[in-house]
Amino acid sequence: MSECNCVKSDLSLIDEVLEKYKKIPGSLITILQKAQEIYGFLPTDVIYHIAEETGSTPAKVMGVATFYTQFRFRPVGRYLIMLCQGTACHVNGSEKIAKTIKDELGISDGETTDDGLFTLKNVACLGCCSLSPVMMINEETYGSLTPEKVRKILNELKEAAQ
Amino acid sequence: MKGVEKLEKVRLIIDGKEIFADKNSTILNAAKENNIEIPTLCYHENVALYGACGICTVEAEGMPKLMRACSQKVQEGMVIHTDSERVKKSRKIALELLMSDHTGDCLGPCRLNCPAGTDCQGYVKLIAEGKFHEAVKLIKEKLPLPASIGRVCPHPCETACRRQMVEEPISIAYLKAFCADEDLKADTFRPEVQPDTGKKVAIIGGGPAGLTAAYFLRIKGHSVTIFDAMEKMGGMLRYGIPEYRLPKKVLDKEIEQIACLGVEMKNNVKIGENISFEQIKNDYDAVVVAIGAWSSLSVRCKGDDLEGVMGGIGFLRKVALGEETNMGKKVAVVGGGNTAMDAARTAVRLGAEEVYVIYRRTRNEMPAEKIEIEEAEEEGVTFKFLTNPDEIMGENGKANKIKLQVMELGEPDSSGRRSPVAVEGKFEFIDVDTVIMAIGQKVNVSGFEEIELNSKGIISADERTFRTNIENVFAVGDATNKGASIAIAAIGEAEKASKVIDGYLLGMEIPYRKPFVSEKEVTAEMFADKEKISRAKMPVRSADERKNDFKEITLGFTKEEAMKEASRCLECGCHDYKDCKLIEYANWYDINPARFKGEKNIHETERKLVSIERNNSKCILCSLCVRTCDEVVKKGVLGLVGRGFTTTIKPEFQGDEILAFCKDCKKCAEVCPTGALKIL
Amino acid sequence: MKIAVGQGSCGIAAGAGKVYSAIESLLEDKQILTITGCVGMCFLEPIVDIYDNDNKLHRLVKVKEEDAENIVKAVEEKDFSYVENILISAEDESFLEKQTRIALRNCGKINPEKIEDYIKNSGYEAIKKVLTSMSPEEVIDEIKVSGLAGRGGAGFPTWFKWNAARQSEGKEKYLICNADEGDPGAFMDRAVIESDPHTLIEGMLIGAYAIGAKECIVYVRAEYPLAIVRLENAIKQAEEKGFIGKNILGTAFSCTFRIKAGAGAFVCGEETALIESLEGERGMPRLKPPFPAQAGYWLKPSNINNVETFANVAWIINNSGEEFSRLGTENSKGTKVFALTGKVKRGGLVEIPMGKTLRDVIFDIGGGIKDNKNFKAVQLGGPSGGCIPEKLLDTVIDYKELSATGAIMGSGGMVVMDDSTCMVNMAKFFLDFTTKESCGKCVHCRIGTKRMYEILERIVSGKGESGDIELLEELCYGIKDGALCGLGQTAPNPVLTTIKYFRDEYVSHIEEKRCPAKECADLLTYSINKDKCVGCSLCSKKCPANAISGEIKKTFEIDNNLCIKCGQCKSACRFGAVEVI
Repeated sequence: MSECNCVKSDLSLIDEVLEKYKKIPGSLITILQKAQEIYGFLPTDVIYHIAEETGSTPAKVMGVATFYTQFRFRPVGRYLIMLCQGTACHVNGSEKIAKTIKDELGISDGETTDDGLFTLKNVACLGCCSLSPVMMINEETYGSLTPEKVRKILNELKEAAQ
Repeated sequence: MKGVEKLEKVRLIIDGKEIFADKNSTILNAAKENNIEIPTLCYHENVALYGACGICTVEAEGMPKLMRACSQKVQEGMVIHTDSERVKKSRKIALELLMSDHTGDCLGPCRLNCPAGTDCQGYVKLIAEGKFHEAVKLIKEKLPLPASIGRVCPHPCETACRRQMVEEPISIAYLKAFCADEDLKADTFRPEVQPDTGKKVAIIGGGPAGLTAAYFLRIKGHSVTIFDAMEKMGGMLRYGIPEYRLPKKVLDKEIEQIACLGVEMKNNVKIGENISFEQIKNDYDAVVVAIGAWSSLSVRCKGDDLEGVMGGIGFLRKVALGEETNMGKKVAVVGGGNTAMDAARTAVRLGAEEVYVIYRRTRNEMPAEKIEIEEAEEEGVTFKFLTNPDEIMGENGKANKIKLQVMELGEPDSSGRRSPVAVEGKFEFIDVDTVIMAIGQKVNVSGFEEIELNSKGIISADERTFRTNIENVFAVGDATNKGASIAIAAIGEAEKASKVIDGYLLGMEIPYRKPFVSEKEVTAEMFADKEKISRAKMPVRSADERKNDFKEITLGFTKEEAMKEASRCLECGCHDYKDCKLIEYANWYDINPARFKGEKNIHETERKLVSIERNNSKCILCSLCVRTCDEVVKKGVLGLVGRGFTTTIKPEFQGDEILAFCKDCKKCAEVCPTGALKIL
Repeated sequence: MKIAVGQGSCGIAAGAGKVYSAIESLLEDKQILTITGCVGMCFLEPIVDIYDNDNKLHRLVKVKEEDAENIVKAVEEKDFSYVENILISAEDESFLEKQTRIALRNCGKINPEKIEDYIKNSGYEAIKKVLTSMSPEEVIDEIKVSGLAGRGGAGFPTWFKWNAARQSEGKEKYLICNADEGDPGAFMDRAVIESDPHTLIEGMLIGAYAIGAKECIVYVRAEYPLAIVRLENAIKQAEEKGFIGKNILGTAFSCTFRIKAGAGAFVCGEETALIESLEGERGMPRLKPPFPAQAGYWLKPSNINNVETFANVAWIINNSGEEFSRLGTENSKGTKVFALTGKVKRGGLVEIPMGKTLRDVIFDIGGGIKDNKNFKAVQLGGPSGGCIPEKLLDTVIDYKELSATGAIMGSGGMVVMDDSTCMVNMAKFFLDFTTKESCGKCVHCRIGTKRMYEILERIVSGKGESGDIELLEELCYGIKDGALCGLGQTAPNPVLTTIKYFRDEYVSHIEEKRCPAKECADLLTYSINKDKCVGCSLCSKKCPANAISGEIKKTFEIDNNLCIKCGQCKSACRFGAVEVI
């Protein structure tokens, strides 16, 4: 699953989370969400650790984690581009936006640029349909996108990173 | 008390049958208790309901939706149909969808390519394990003459064998002959014959097809009589294949095995001469015409009617009968097939000084087996490639010279082979005493005038029912449809026909249907890491020694050689074929998954445990393994990973303790309805 | 004087946050600045509402950061001529005037972060009434009289579900709100939570009382972070005011609230999958029966309704079920909220009484099609719904009538398409969605939707074969019959309706290798009209594939072997010389 088996994660970082939730039945998704907030993604050793601490098994935890699109198994780039896949965005040309991002950054859904700057993730409808097509980069939402606008935004972020 | 019982039961109708079932019972179980089988792939009594496969759907009158029999409880007054058109369609689509994402070989290419469908992989494995009698028993489920066929078969199985992607194919044919020889030595396998049915079957022709039909029909308990025009049984195996390839002693023993079952064998009976076809038809409940194709075709050139020009089959038959051939010292055989090789090599053994094989294409296009060509060459046969008889010249009505048109290869024809084209004005001449035409055979139907023929003058028989135009007359083998082919093809037809005839005799019409099997595409790269072990060479007598007599050329494998050779098998076919519910249901519903061809989930086979092999490419995500591990074993080692189309099942072993436990548990593999999990 | 800046997610995305800060920095009396949620006029965001001293509303639209100065001037000098240029037009105002708002009654009016604002607008009066004067049965009866049906899609009578859960034996019962609004193109639930979270809380409290639950859980999509924050805040405030917790309003009724954030799985909108997810499992649907009312969350009796359903409850209690049932048609009572989007002039949230027509919503309220193009179809119900053509625009909004078209009411996503939308590609879009969102449990959905997607993909890429339409139809009916849950059973609807109403478009793709809407790139050919081309070379400069050549001031030509059909030349050409066939 993860390519980062080699790296040992600091498991103590989720002690508090586990302490709070492991006794509450049905909290696995919450624990995984908190773990991802802490580690940025879900390293394999963390998954094993959660399984052990919650009295589950790694297969079960892995099963839950891989079911939901929110969870990641490798680190993301500095900028996480979430491209809305809603119907309104589709009707208003989100395919062209995806293509522009691919042309500009060379990444498709789920991929990260070699320089570790950008990760692209297609997401379910962000609910900003009247601004479609829409993408969200980190916390910021960008609406009414055109290929030109996307190129400009990406270039600005690239410059900002340097 | 009866009243009490009635209170707890509900009354419903399944497939027109009135049923009383426990009120908590599901439709699936209620049906099962009443011997109505509803197919399911994901239900198991030991684990909780799941509802994934959607195969168990049934229709209830008055309900707009189909329902899953595994979860739907019975209700008073329900009228259920488990076999309506809608239900069948629904199941069929589910199975087609499942199969469209199921990658694996039900059967190995060897078995698929064998016209008789012999379980090559199965018996090769038994041979590897030293279980020779069991191997023969398995072979004889399809083929009653393994010692003979093992020697003469051009083995399409080996042509298809995937081991050649590593180095060379398994020596399947010789292994078959080997185990059959072993079996004939002592404790010979003999099948059980079912009680007499009182039905009588006449088989006309005691060649491979006739003998096979006799064997299988006799086992079914029918009274079987074979009529044959020649003085002994065996047909082409006896009269068309030379002794040095198939010692007649071996053939005799195998025919003896068939006779022992109680098959009556009548030789020297020619239909239309010694007995009329009409009479046989009237005296027997069913008649199988398996008369073969015994006349040789001619090249049709000027002079082909001269004395000294003869047919290949006729020549071989004369030799087999010990008759004088008067062939002289210089013999030219026309043709490139195995019969041509047999004729040429027989001529060598009879003392011909010059033997030529005249073939209009090159060595590469020759239909004869490579080994036959090589051995013929070793024995001194001269090959005249790219030549074709233009005229057979003679003196006093007797052939003494052959004029050969020189050919070259032109454009490929419809068969993909490049067609020979005459090089204008270019000829060669050879002095000959005898010209043997071995370019093909035709059927002699005299005595069977009533039977309808096809446009080629061959008996026309339905390809699925083997029936002719006459009510109780069936026909198989070289005498039918496409004409002469190899022995194993005739045997395959006879075996299939025997099932149809058995049904016919019992008043049923069960046409042969080619079963659906899953097949996967393979490339040589997939075998790149296989250790190379070369194919066992069959020891043969030296050319100088063998060319002077008719003793068998091959010397046979030792047990060790045979077992070692057999162990090279890659075991391509699925270990679970016989128990696989997926393929069983697929064949119930006559599926055609090709219409839903699309992306497949392909996974590497893995062995994280020493005791279980996992092949997720065959997994249908019924999750029985996962649920059994959770609910029955209570270990939770297995889990579903991902979601949607790419969902897979994966184990996660935390610690050595669990690895040790899993090694012996194997419950997951036991419940797998397909071949995805294999116990090693 | 009061200034309220609309701060819903899409307002913020449009720049409302920056507008707020700009006004805040210039404003002397910061007390008069406040926020609201979303009024639903998404096409006019960011929106700033100024209430003058007579409490008259001056609505400013498409406000930019640089407008802040004039806004502050207008307020401080009480002179609205400063903001005349950004004042809402009468035409745009009609967008709201033509609506009847029950579920959205407070949206865009109150500050969603202040419980006092809600209370001022009859908030928590319904729960008071229920707890002090009604038995649970009476509550259920009132809901029965109202005719309220589940607004999440299926339209199942709410009272029936409540009653089933009420009747189920067991001390522990749960009331769950499905706020996993997964339909791409629907956002009314988000708007309600962001703009009026207490309405949801109050509706749920009433439901909990009715069925006998002591715990309420709201399952919210992870993609709605702002909604989660506002709901958390609202729960805290309600607890502080004693509307949530032990012995609510001094009665014997106690109830707790908690939020569970989803983790990204559309299928969790399905009741049993949602329950699996709440229990921390993979969100795979369970076999039904048993239904959640008998054995749901932790196998205890549970009732699940969606946000909009609960948003109607307090109003019904306050105004009577009868009043609610006066709105609508025989089969469908009350109002329905739609998220109107796509190629429509005025997109946003529209709440209208059942019984209005699709045409009313799209043309009367929505103002018709953008850029003077022609209406082609409207998509209702998202991935479970269907596309309705022009000839059915007068269909009445009613559960039964809409189902008869092959679409469904759904949760209220209403995506309008003009003739530049290819219907085959639209079907492919939805199948792509369902394929990705299929949980993978049952065969029909896991493999069937994938195969449907593959067939659609080959059709739009010009590799369709005759027989593909029939094959699709066969698959559709097979999947409808065999899939385990609602997601799979309804997944074929977008395909079936597009085949039903736009079969000729499928035929054009398959037989003529032509896309009538000129959307499917693989089926397009670009060429330059020599009569129109002036040889400016702009197209050639824009072409990323170097497929366009020619001489300046003469005409240019496209090499179709090199053309990648990106369309950049067409958008670059100022003379309309690039044509597409």
